[in-house]
Amino acid sequence: MKVPGTFWLGKRLAVVALLGVLLVSGWVLGPRIIQLSEGADPFAEVGRFFGAALSPSLADENPSLPQDARPFLLRLGESLLRTFRYALIAISLAVPAGLVLGFLASSAWWPGGMRYGKAPVGRTIMRGMLRLLRWGCRFLITLGRSIHELVWALFFLSALGDAPIAACSALALPFAGTLGKVFSELIDEQSQGSRSTLMATGASPLQAFVSALLPSALPEMLTYTVYRFECALRSSAVLGFIGVETVGLGIRQSYESLYYGEVWTQLYALVIVVVGVDTLGARLRDRLNRGATRKAVPELSKLELGRSEARLRRTAPRDWIVRGGLLAGMMLVLISWTNGRELGINMAAEQRDARIGRFLTKLTPAPARPENSTASGGERIEALEGKGKAVKDWAVDLWSRNGAEALLNTVAIASSAIVLAAIGAALLLPVGSRALARGEPFGVLGAASRWVHWWWSGVGFLTRSLFILARAVPEYVYAFLLVGLLGPSAWPLVFALALHNLGILGRLWGEVMENQRPEVPRHWIQSGAGRVQSYCGSLAPLSFNRFLLFFFYRWETCIREATILGMLGISSLGYYVSIAHNWLRYDEMLFYVLLGVAVVFAGDVLSDWMRRKLRGEIASS
Amino acid sequence: METVFELSQARKSFGAVHALSSIDLQIAKGERVALIGASGSGKTTLLRLFGAQLAPDRGEVRVLGCNPLVLGEGKLRELRSRLGYLPQDLGLVPNLRVLQNVVAGRCGRRSILGNLRDLILPAVAVRRRIFELLERVGIEEKMYDRVDTLSGGQQQRVAVARALFQEPAVILADEPVSAVDPARARDVLELLTRLSEEEGLTLLVSMHQLDLAREFFPRLVGLKHGKVHFDGKPSELGSEGLSALFQLGDKAVVS
Repeated sequence: MKVPGTFWLGKRLAVVALLGVLLVSGWVLGPRIIQLSEGADPFAEVGRFFGAALSPSLADENPSLPQDARPFLLRLGESLLRTFRYALIAISLAVPAGLVLGFLASSAWWPGGMRYGKAPVGRTIMRGMLRLLRWGCRFLITLGRSIHELVWALFFLSALGDAPIAACSALALPFAGTLGKVFSELIDEQSQGSRSTLMATGASPLQAFVSALLPSALPEMLTYTVYRFECALRSSAVLGFIGVETVGLGIRQSYESLYYGEVWTQLYALVIVVVGVDTLGARLRDRLNRGATRKAVPELSKLELGRSEARLRRTAPRDWIVRGGLLAGMMLVLISWTNGRELGINMAAEQRDARIGRFLTKLTPAPARPENSTASGGERIEALEGKGKAVKDWAVDLWSRNGAEALLNTVAIASSAIVLAAIGAALLLPVGSRALARGEPFGVLGAASRWVHWWWSGVGFLTRSLFILARAVPEYVYAFLLVGLLGPSAWPLVFALALHNLGILGRLWGEVMENQRPEVPRHWIQSGAGRVQSYCGSLAPLSFNRFLLFFFYRWETCIREATILGMLGISSLGYYVSIAHNWLRYDEMLFYVLLGVAVVFAGDVLSDWMRRKLRGEIASS
Repeated sequence: METVFELSQARKSFGAVHALSSIDLQIAKGERVALIGASGSGKTTLLRLFGAQLAPDRGEVRVLGCNPLVLGEGKLRELRSRLGYLPQDLGLVPNLRVLQNVVAGRCGRRSILGNLRDLILPAVAVRRRIFELLERVGIEEKMYDRVDTLSGGQQQRVAVARALFQEPAVILADEPVSAVDPARARDVLELLTRLSEEEGLTLLVSMHQLDLAREFFPRLVGLKHGKVHFDGKPSELGSEGLSALFQLGDKAVVS
């Protein structure tokens, strides 16, 4: 059996190149990992923090609260509910938008799919226009995705005040982009057989899209939406760190008051909710894949045709759990929209317009601002044109003062984090794989001792639990805690990103290995190799290209995350974004955000190109 | 006799590969024809020419009496909707029910809203019609089961039912018995022949199992290197013709 190679690099060279990336980014970030003020003992505080993990608080740690204050657990419950509510509202906004974007970004429904002879001119023109439309949609998708929800939230909250709908829309924008991208990819990746058969028997591409492609992609779209909801929960929690009343706000306040027990209680609560949704999603995927099967066939032969059919229909296999789950989800969305705190903007129309006007003025680069702040949009643009040179100087100044360095740091943080996460995942996978970490790897008869069986099952379970826990907590929360414990250097951010992505890569790579055909690794085991040997010799090299596929996908998301982690006070793009925000210099904020957009766009294009190459390589192997 | 398919001097090449060169062939209404030949001999290309899925580079093709090249988009789709087609991979949507897969057979004759209705809430008359068709192919009790829970043979019957639901004039089947065990291969061919006899359907099947082709089809068309190498009754195909068709030096392999 031929072990597929990597597209222009050998596997070894690829690994060396990635380690080189880690070294270079480490060198950029500097050697100081712990950076506390003189005399502080980092280990005492770290010990106290982790010691509190075993004794989470169930009541307020603050002794001086008034008697009638709402108890801690009640507040925690409320903030969890709000976290859940905002995530639901955001996802209910993002899914319709994602469906529209995904449809327009796919070319599967374009007319003239099964061409016969020469295409008429009108058709060619129409396809050209659709291509333009698709290009525009893809741009919108990438733009929405390349600005982190936290940054969208900063913009929206500055413009609209602290209305929940502002926070929810901020969540919904990047999520709509991601959903649109993934929906269109899922549709394009469906097997083309049913589509082309329908078109061969007279269906138009749009009809084949509706009758074949969409239904076959629907289960995956559904489970992906549940996964995005899980992500929305995490993001909604993180919005608490910039003042939205979700569970992140409580974590920040408790941590800053050094009530570590409270921090852990809230972390545990968040993890339980996220892992719960994760488990639900896994069950849903499982059930959708399997499909309901008929228990018994009703008696048909004696009945008249119509009654036979009706009887079959009545007893048709239906998955009530999936149906009930979907219905419950929709009910929850409805409840989220109608109950709880008023979502909209709670101020008079003039006040709101004035606020938005002020925001827009401040968003205009300082040298280009008209003297009269009530100028109309057209006047603003004219003013901009007149002051082009001044604006250019302003931008160059920002770039050379902080921009370039911040950009470099951001990329270095993301790159070192993802390589560290990959190393961790690669090392842990053999002991976390369902097929290897058990008494009888790949079903090959193993040691007779029952203890060996328990040992390996235990190790496997613990490793997979570590992956789940690592990805259940948002990277921003890790970063917040680690910066507090280790002091303000870039490394806490790197570790936070690496830890979260270790959990994600562990899961994604684990799935790749589970989908690998078992013959080769089983053969290794049968011919006397150990578990790790079988992994290194067969599973890892066989899965290498697919591993890289997910690696690049996560690298791209790491860059996006790294741009905002700087908000915690470390010199990267997020730092300057938050400084500018604090000083109400929205123009400078916009400049740094756009720098972030540029680097995420570049990362997106690069990773897309790499992944296309890798896909080709995988398809041909 | 009315002619259903007609090719005159038809050629088709893909890049430098000449899939078909100068083919003349006529197939009359109600005929049952097996296209035989080694892989790469042009069987699939010929089927796709007859299915109005591919246009010839040169020469003329007439399908159900019309030249597809002069038809507009709508007329072309109408023509295709009268050609039942069974691709080798069956082209079913695995996570949909049998009913929803069969109803897709008339997808092209409906509006988009009609397609949605057929998928979600098909009319009673449609359901009865499909039940009838499924009865005829012998899997009526699977009507509400998901296709991916069916066996390979049952899935093939779903595809046949879908083609029948088109109310086609002909059925084109691309290698329906190539990836099937011998018992199932007979089953499928028996089903297709029976349906074609009952409905007066023209049946055109590509295959490479000679014994089965001889047994089930009164007319064989042998293709070799994109040319018609043999056209006639099975009894007329002697062993010399056979070994030439499959380019075999050793006759033992054939028998």
